[in-house]
Amino acid sequence: MKDFRLHLIVLILIVVAEKIGNISITVGVGKIVLLPMMYALLMGVATAPRFTKISSEKNVKTASSLLGVTLMLLMARYGTLVGPSLPKILAASPALILQEFGNLGTIIIGVPLAVFVGLKREAIGAAHSVAREPNVALIGERFGLDGAEGRGVMGVYICGTVIGTIFFGLMASLAAAYLPFHPYALAMAAGVGSASMMTAAVGSLSAMFPQMADQIAAFGAASNMLSGLDGLYMSIWMALPFAEWLYRKSYRMKYGVDPEPPVVKSLEEGKEREAK
Amino acid sequence: MKMSETLGVLLICGFLSLVANVVGTKNGFVEAIPGMLFLIALAFLGIWLGKVIPGGIPGVAYVVTIGCILTVPGVPCAAAISAAVSKVGFMQLCTPILAYAGVAICKDLDVFAESSWRIVVVSCVVFVGTYIGSAIIAQLILKAIGQI
Repeated sequence: MKDFRLHLIVLILIVVAEKIGNISITVGVGKIVLLPMMYALLMGVATAPRFTKISSEKNVKTASSLLGVTLMLLMARYGTLVGPSLPKILAASPALILQEFGNLGTIIIGVPLAVFVGLKREAIGAAHSVAREPNVALIGERFGLDGAEGRGVMGVYICGTVIGTIFFGLMASLAAAYLPFHPYALAMAAGVGSASMMTAAVGSLSAMFPQMADQIAAFGAASNMLSGLDGLYMSIWMALPFAEWLYRKSYRMKYGVDPEPPVVKSLEEGKEREAK
Repeated sequence: MKMSETLGVLLICGFLSLVANVVGTKNGFVEAIPGMLFLIALAFLGIWLGKVIPGGIPGVAYVVTIGCILTVPGVPCAAAISAAVSKVGFMQLCTPILAYAGVAICKDLDVFAESSWRIVVVSCVVFVGTYIGSAIIAQLILKAIGQI
């Protein structure tokens, strides 16, 4: 906390980022919105010890230890966004709850693709969910994070941490521009269980539809909370079994034989010994 | 992290967000202070409750829930709180967080570079699949119940 060099770096980054402001790039009939938070992230990466050496190893460590607390102010603001819209959210609650099942959409294309590009059981860890913290914990508990499934889930988790914010921001603006979705539907879909991904998507949407900004943010925040609550159970009871089943089907299609049976963590040691 | 440290981090982050707010929105520094103080107090209270109340519910749940309850229309002070926090833009709250995240990511870059291109491709498809899957269902249901 007393790392004032880090705070000074961040102060400069945010002033520059906010000075640049939102940039809308018109692409065909739609537009892509770039947000100050994205420049702040990229500039933050650019200060790395390995690039411009503006921030030191110590700054990097402090920054990652502070992240959890800094998120709380944003979550407090989200609470105050949901409150005033609560009647509207309750009216839309069937959509909010049911769209959670859309998170399973990732498996239908994700698992076959992962198998197709040559991943083995990594596919199950990688494509059973968007791989945020609860999913990583779940895979770790069931298969161990050093196993194939663990490598898969960690890969997507890190990928999400590094490019997720920008990816979701751009994806939301592209979807709003080119696909026939209502901004509210896109806002609900943004709640995948990651505050930063959701904020980037919601930020892009509110920049494109300023008159609906508060509603969009409220739906995004409500859906994100819901994902936080049900995401884990959904993974345990639906996503993992489904991913497992689809993995077997895809594997047979690509290699013509059945895949090896899964190695569950508690049995892992015994099986390995048998194999030897 | 000690609670005094948590408060310190919240104050610093609050100050940085206020700066972002002045640069990035039309709101002045002073007029956003009451809303920011409320958010800092709310965040602090939530984190504290998460620590002292048994049951393992994380602080963030208290933060969001209390913030939500205090601003539901009809609750005393709801209008005043909403007016105060409306001077604090939510995107400007996010800018400092992502600046810190950017600095912190440096730690993960090696692992990111190591994980092969396959994982990156699969990740992108996973993000698109989740997002579009949810959007399709939300769109259909919202239409069906007449909300859009």
